[in-house]
Amino acid sequence: MKINSRFLGTTAATCVLGLSASPRSSAAVSDEDFNALKNVVQQLQQAHDQDQQQIQKLQQQLGDTQTQVQKTDAAVQAQSSSTIRNALHNFTMVGDAEVQYAKTFGGATDPNGNPHRNGFLLADFAPIFLYRANDNVLFEAGFDMMLNNGSVSGHENSSSTSVGISFAQLDYVMNDYMTFVGGYMLLPLGTYSERAAGMLNKIPDDPLGREFLPGAGAGAQLRGAFAIGDSGQMITYSVYGANGPSSIDNTALAGSLDLGGNVGLLSDGSTGNLHSAPSGGGRIGWFIPWGGAHKDLEIGISGQSGVWDDAGDHYWSAGVLDASLHIGPSFELKGEFINSWFGTTDAGTVHPWAVWAQAGYKLAGLNLDLPVISDVELIGRYDKESNGQGTSTRRYTFGYVYYLTNTLLFEGDYEWLHSNDLNVPANQLIFQLSYGF
Amino acid sequence: MKTIRCFSNIVIRPAGRLILAAALLGGLAATLLAAEPAAAAKKTGPAKKKLTGSELYAINCNRCHQERYPTEFNSAQWQTLITHMRVRANLPAKQAKEILKYLKEEAGG
Ligand code: HEC
Repeated sequence: MKINSRFLGTTAATCVLGLSASPRSSAAVSDEDFNALKNVVQQLQQAHDQDQQQIQKLQQQLGDTQTQVQKTDAAVQAQSSSTIRNALHNFTMVGDAEVQYAKTFGGATDPNGNPHRNGFLLADFAPIFLYRANDNVLFEAGFDMMLNNGSVSGHENSSSTSVGISFAQLDYVMNDYMTFVGGYMLLPLGTYSERAAGMLNKIPDDPLGREFLPGAGAGAQLRGAFAIGDSGQMITYSVYGANGPSSIDNTALAGSLDLGGNVGLLSDGSTGNLHSAPSGGGRIGWFIPWGGAHKDLEIGISGQSGVWDDAGDHYWSAGVLDASLHIGPSFELKGEFINSWFGTTDAGTVHPWAVWAQAGYKLAGLNLDLPVISDVELIGRYDKESNGQGTSTRRYTFGYVYYLTNTLLFEGDYEWLHSNDLNVPANQLIFQLSYGF
Repeated sequence: MKTIRCFSNIVIRPAGRLILAAALLGGLAATLLAAEPAAAAKKTGPAKKKLTGSELYAINCNRCHQERYPTEFNSAQWQTLITHMRVRANLPAKQAKEILKYLKEEAGG
């Protein structure tokens, strides 16, 4: 720009000089020509002035831009350093909360011989804390704070409060195919434990037979998945070692099995001579979607085995088959077939087993376009269990889920129970409001 | 004391065996599956395109629970939640990444 304007200036000056150096002496230059040249010089002068102004403007703009860049730089730096300092940026809390009302009919007594409760209210707050250390490391802990009204044995109409850990685990994503999990983990025996939370369960009560399996255990696990093709199909796996079941009193009697795990405390408060061998287990699943969303089948096989008595002479083992089917956005069918076996000194090998199947149909599938009806899902479940020691129970559950929003559910169920255990109530009515956040 | 000894026995010693078992299993699965994608591609032909993040979201994110809409959380929260779900639901890495991209694009802030 400068060179240009200088050049223009010089040209203009030369012109003026040239013009003034050859005034009227040369008769060849007419007035007309002179005036024309004068005009040209004036125009050049104007152009030169304009250029000068333009240069000043541009210089100012450049200055402005530079200060702006400096400011933005500073802001970016401040922001990134605050991201590093602000741990809350990587911290997320999710979870669910439930309020429950239940009324039981029939049934002789509770296991302690007290008259059976006739209604209770339960409130449950189950937050899950997630802390992401980086893209590959996640710490997750799920808690359960529960107020259970009128359910304490021997204290009719009293309430109990409990705080428990559902899981507390560290996840380390090692590569695309494998994640290491360590800590207190939900166990992949079937899918129910890993996929149970208030906002997931369409029936408040657990299926029969889940009490034959440990829900969680301390240990380590490797898990991951392999995609098959590009249709969304995949094979999933989980392999773990965890503190297996133990004995509540040092013995290997059938009644002494404690699925809660080998935690080191006996029922009398002393530390027991617990077995030191862990249990090993795992699950393999196959997920097959066909035709895009809402049409899929998942099947899984899982198991666990390890010694349970302190002497380490008797094994507790389990095998579970699970399946889940979706046909369209409205219909779901799922269930599990649960088997477990454990050796005892008094009853030989005990074989508790159970089976449950649950179907759900969302009335939105009828395309009735009615406000409340279209937000209702009808649910039915059949479950049956035998504890391997003479007690067997069958149950039919029929109910509904009313979706107030995608995470606020109002559920109601009626259960018909048939058992040769007199303590088991005959029927039960349950309402639950659950919220996932 | 006993509990401590017990703990170390239980958690550390089997880890080696476990990793070995898992590695064997993983290796086996990888070998079995390595051939699969090629076979699947042949069957469906080149016309079939890869599933997008939103399609994968539609297939996976409402089969265990009601759908959680992308706008319910912000990008940073989704980054955390996708790892949570990837581990819990055993989602393949590539699919989780595609879904995360979709969720972040549609996220509420
Ligand atoms: C295999 C089953 C499964 C699949 C598939 C799955 N989820 Fe989940 N999801 C769960 C379970 C179980 C919970 C609740 C318990 C927990 O968080 O530990 C949950 C919780 C959540 C939560 C937290 C809400 C809360 O109240 O705990 C969000 C958000 C979520 N899932 C999003 C997703 C998204 C997005 C996808 C798709 C990538 C997905 N989920 C796929 C099982 C699944």
